[in-house]
Amino acid sequence: MTINHHPSDETLLRHTAGTLGAGPAVVIAAHLEGCETCRRRVFEFESLGGAILEGMPLEPLRVDALARALERLDLPSLSPRPETIVVRQHHPVGLELPSSLHHCDVGPWRWLGPGFRWSKVSLPGNSDAKVLLLKGRAGLKLPAHGHDGTEFLQVLSGSLFDERGRYYPGDLDEADTDVDHQPVISSDSECICLVALEGDTRLHSALGRLLWPIVGF
Amino acid sequence: MKPVEQQGTLPTPGELCQLMQAVAAAHDRSAFAALFGYFAPRVKAFLMRSGLSANMAEEVTQETMLAIWHKASYFDPSRAGVSTWIYAIARNQRIDRLRRERTHTVDPHLDPSDEPELPDSGEDVALVAEREAQVRTALAALSREQAAIVHLSFFAEKPHSEIARELGVPLGTVKSRIRLALNRLRALLGDET
Repeated sequence: MTINHHPSDETLLRHTAGTLGAGPAVVIAAHLEGCETCRRRVFEFESLGGAILEGMPLEPLRVDALARALERLDLPSLSPRPETIVVRQHHPVGLELPSSLHHCDVGPWRWLGPGFRWSKVSLPGNSDAKVLLLKGRAGLKLPAHGHDGTEFLQVLSGSLFDERGRYYPGDLDEADTDVDHQPVISSDSECICLVALEGDTRLHSALGRLLWPIVGF
Repeated sequence: MKPVEQQGTLPTPGELCQLMQAVAAAHDRSAFAALFGYFAPRVKAFLMRSGLSANMAEEVTQETMLAIWHKASYFDPSRAGVSTWIYAIARNQRIDRLRRERTHTVDPHLDPSDEPELPDSGEDVALVAEREAQVRTALAALSREQAAIVHLSFFAEKPHSEIARELGVPLGTVKSRIRLALNRLRALLGDET
């Protein structure tokens, strides 16, 4: 599988640094599962993190810091977590989901427009993350829109295209404020995408405005 | 117990690797203490620079060092150097702590270190050592401003506004400055794409 559309270096760096929001991070993780090029990039950025760590000035610790650590080494677990089994709700969406979604709830398909369905992806502990699956029938034209916050879209099945290119499974489209587009789903099959919206999409994003009355975010 | 001896100069990557392997294979407490001396003060500084208070940075540093002890057997020199591995653990501990602070309820499935391992890139120890060295050379070759941009991108939750403030550039040009800095980095690392 050749992947032609990747996250920007800035996004991969923020993902590596742990400063990307939880929603976009799920979509980037889904992309990384299928993209060796970006995995190598993330490894490079982690090395960069290691180099920056090495270059940090020394911040004095409490005088008993090492003693405390040594005392705790033999305790059974550093942060005991109850072994509760949490069953994640996964409504069948008609394809195998990326493993980055395994710890999320995936809702049933709901109507969004003619030939257009969505499914809510809920991240435990991150109720304000805006992640969803979108499914459009073959040939569907999405509304033309611009962006005030970044939208991350990973193609899971089928394909779509806009003025900037054609997106196949494994491709990730990162659309920020510079992008005005009208995505169209290819005529040969339906298309399913994983999407995360960054920031306050209710107010700022065209796709958010489109989704808000129905989706609730 | 005497206070931590803070170590200003790190040993070679190979020596750090031996210390890690002593912890992994033999639960060698003196090797752990040596790693603690090298890394704990740096991890604390890194966490404070990322916005944690001194107290919380001290706690998360403790958790990071304990995680290093418990996860030592997962350290794989064919994936990353010691500093890089410790960086990743500190980052995960920080994310974990911030999530707990935000949500107040701990979901046992949220430990970032439990997230699925990405497939291996099939590198070996020599290639990893080469990458680690290349990254350091590249970082040193960046201009002052570009190095600052890379650092701030690592530390800041909202890097754009902090970069604008620290470098005194308009917010509108930050995005292109970041792109330039990361393109330069990519060129220095010899990546073609």
